Amino acid sequence: MSESTANPGVDERIKQQSRLQKALVRPELGGICGTIVVFALFLLFAGDSGMFNAQGVLNWSVVSAQFMIIAVGACLLMIAGEFDLSVGSMIGFSGMMIAIFTVSFGWPVWMAIIVTFIGCIAIGAINGFIVIRTGLPSFIVTLASLFILRGFTIYLPQLLERKTIIGGVRDAAQGDWLAVIFGGKILKGFFQWMGDVGIIGTFERGTQAGKPVVEGIPMLIVWAIVLVIIGHILLTRTRFGNWIFASGGDAESARNSGVPVNRVKILMFMTTAFCACVFATCQVMEFGSAGADRGLLKEFEAIIAVVIGGALLTGGYGSVIGAALGALIFGVVQQGLFFAGVESSLFRVFLGLILLFAVILNTYIRRMITGER
Amino acid sequence: MNTRSSHEPIIAMKNIEKHFGSVIALAGVSVDVFPGECHCLLGDNGAGKSTFIKTMSGVHKPTKGEIFFENRPMSFSDPRDAIAAGIATVHQHLAMIPLMSVSRNFFMGNEPVKKILGMPFFDHEHANAVTMEEMRKMGINLRGPDQAVGTLSGGERQTVAIARAVHFGAKVLILDEPTSALGVRQTANVLATIDKVRKQDIAVVFITHNVRHALAVGDRFTVLNRGKTLGTAQRGQITPEELQDMMAGGQEMVALEGSLGGTV
Amino acid sequence: MNKLAKLLAAALALVAMPHMVTTAAAEGEKYVLVSHAPDSDTWWNVIKNGIALAGEQMGVEVEYRNPPTGDIADMARIIEQAAASGPHGIITTLADFDVLKGPIQNAVASGVDVIIMNTGTAEQAREVGALMYVGQPEYDAGYAAGLRAKGDGIGSFLCVNHTIQQPSLVQRCQGFADGLGVELGDSMLDSGTDPGEVKNKVLAYLSANPSTEAILALGPVSADPTIAALKENGMAGDIYFGTFDLGDEIVKGIKEGIVKWGIDQQPFLQAYMPVVILSNYHRYGVLPGNNMNSGPGFVTNDGLTLVEEYAGEYR
Repeated sequence: MSESTANPGVDERIKQQSRLQKALVRPELGGICGTIVVFALFLLFAGDSGMFNAQGVLNWSVVSAQFMIIAVGACLLMIAGEFDLSVGSMIGFSGMMIAIFTVSFGWPVWMAIIVTFIGCIAIGAINGFIVIRTGLPSFIVTLASLFILRGFTIYLPQLLERKTIIGGVRDAAQGDWLAVIFGGKILKGFFQWMGDVGIIGTFERGTQAGKPVVEGIPMLIVWAIVLVIIGHILLTRTRFGNWIFASGGDAESARNSGVPVNRVKILMFMTTAFCACVFATCQVMEFGSAGADRGLLKEFEAIIAVVIGGALLTGGYGSVIGAALGALIFGVVQQGLFFAGVESSLFRVFLGLILLFAVILNTYIRRMITGER
Repeated sequence: MNTRSSHEPIIAMKNIEKHFGSVIALAGVSVDVFPGECHCLLGDNGAGKSTFIKTMSGVHKPTKGEIFFENRPMSFSDPRDAIAAGIATVHQHLAMIPLMSVSRNFFMGNEPVKKILGMPFFDHEHANAVTMEEMRKMGINLRGPDQAVGTLSGGERQTVAIARAVHFGAKVLILDEPTSALGVRQTANVLATIDKVRKQDIAVVFITHNVRHALAVGDRFTVLNRGKTLGTAQRGQITPEELQDMMAGGQEMVALEGSLGGTV
Repeated sequence: MNKLAKLLAAALALVAMPHMVTTAAAEGEKYVLVSHAPDSDTWWNVIKNGIALAGEQMGVEVEYRNPPTGDIADMARIIEQAAASGPHGIITTLADFDVLKGPIQNAVASGVDVIIMNTGTAEQAREVGALMYVGQPEYDAGYAAGLRAKGDGIGSFLCVNHTIQQPSLVQRCQGFADGLGVELGDSMLDSGTDPGEVKNKVLAYLSANPSTEAILALGPVSADPTIAALKENGMAGDIYFGTFDLGDEIVKGIKEGIVKWGIDQQPFLQAYMPVVILSNYHRYGVLPGNNMNSGPGFVTNDGLTLVEEYAGEYR
């Protein structure tokens, strides 16, 4: 009997997929389609509005890069099966910490940045630890941190400086070796050359006259690209990446197979906090001040980018590249609507539409890949 | 009494008793399992099958009795010890993640690593090749190693789980009701897999309450009833009806079957 | 999938189309007004109406932009975006000098004329290279209100601040305290923007500090619920109550005698004038030689008719 049924492999009910189909059907597909559609539309409707000149490209690139930085952390955490709603508050908090350390305490900027990073990553670890230990949904635990951190971000500067925005970081950061890594710009020579030969525009007047309109690539964009690449490799090419998928897919099964689920999840909370801290540090170094309202609602923007990128809200499935494309779509649409001259209060309508379409499309793609019913 | 008396039993459970408070789940059960045999453990719900295999796989400690593994007395402090020693359990809950690919599932927790520039990376090529090979050996032709487990049928998932346990060095494979939720054809596939595993000289402990499934692949049969064993029978020495009666505890079942008109 | 993409395209086009048409049909100069206010702040409706009217009268194209959540860092991106789209002029608030300085200076350097409106100071406007400042200096307005209250015999007060992160709002309270000649101390209440919360926080503060002589609200968001709170605890008309800005409820409150005065910074002028000034500057090269204080104007029970008619629209 056993011999007669030994060839069960070929099931005529499973449709054979062509190579092309196989290459196309991947978690990032929704993000790729969305990116193409979005760029095509804006090329059509806003092609001559300045959106695709040097200044315009830099503008939506920077906004997209901001989303990317927090989306990488949110994506890995979501795949590991958890949420972090405190990202936005963490951005406000860590920016404020840097400002307080440098301006109120007079520390050198590099020290302020390092201490802030350590503090924020520790808060991320505490978030993770509470989630793991109590078994409460991360949604609730990080909602609590959202309020706690925002509260301190408003309270501390009022206590120390009697105001809610602390400026003067830019002056303190002059010549600081670490500040440059977050607030500097690269390829300045190249852009100067492009300005000189007329590939990109130059400023017409003032002290900057003759300089190119885009001075260089901000480190913010470099951070975004580096984080996306590292995140992607970590997720798809390492054993730890397999553990991230497993922890989010089914924590119990993963534990039974020897995956250190708790460690994975806590580390992912720390990664999310790290990303929020990178975001905040770049912002503070660029603008020279920290405000109590910075980062408001950024947690949702991160989650939206990740979901547009094809990740499953319940964990276990997703892609960092997809999340990065989601962030790109988000940034391009947000800024592009201004370029296209669309009434700005309609932004939310577009956001809602895109989110809805992305989720429907991604669900369809995911079912093709995973055989979910 | 058994055909492989020249072998030593790989695992021998002697007079195992297990009490949970005032409840006596096992009241002195003795079972020997030999390499290369499929030892069926039969019993109705509540007979103590689960408790018994959990004791064997290190989840529970016996209240009384001894366990010999490869002729040495063994006391597992937790399931990891048992797994390390080569006792693998494939539960009804398969420890498989449907959203992940077969090859990622196959190596979950045991990922092969390749160093590139001193950094450890997941060796996908190796993992994919091994997965395809092991699956082929079990008679499953995957579309590709990146096919998600969610696209496999229940029987195929069982087979992946079994192949995984065998690949990672199981000497004793405990299968907890692998066929209980499957259709006829899927069941046949899983039974064929069991047969293949047995031929690799691995001891299979097959837990079921379906007499026909047991008789299809079993070499020896142990029936548990109310925490006691009613003895171990050799293949060919027992009929399906006798097994069924032993599981149900005898007389009431005869009356029931009479009214239903045949073997249940 | 294709279907979805097409649908998405159609939906995008549908919403975008009417606006594209107006953009294409409009003639003349293009001006963008960038504010710091979140979408939820209804006070800015007057600003929108102001630029729309000016745009219509001058025959220029005007656009209103704001960061949806009120995040000033997002606002900096919007100014950069506006500059990149190459308008003739940008009218913007200077809600956070440190953050906005760079983007505004870059806009000026790339050939866009800038006027600062609403928040900011004349000095800051000069420093970023703007043509002029149109608005109400916040501290001065608060100080003037404080002096007025002091003249009416007030010695202690509660400042209901609905957006405590906004430095300009804190300055209003600070100015008022200095005008009265008292310490700000604990007098500033972080009320949040939810009407229910504002009302209950005010009620709680007043029952904990019954000796409070005056209340200063900083706009309709804090004033409207405060009026409701005073009606509820019976202090309406009894306690000295002044507020910044106008709105339907505030005007009614002034009429009923609950609100002593409203400080009108005349937002209409802050929106309307820059568009007119920029248009004339670009057409005829004429520019007023000074900054423009649109406020503070104190609105009391006398002469409320026009205010009442246009409150929330142009007033």
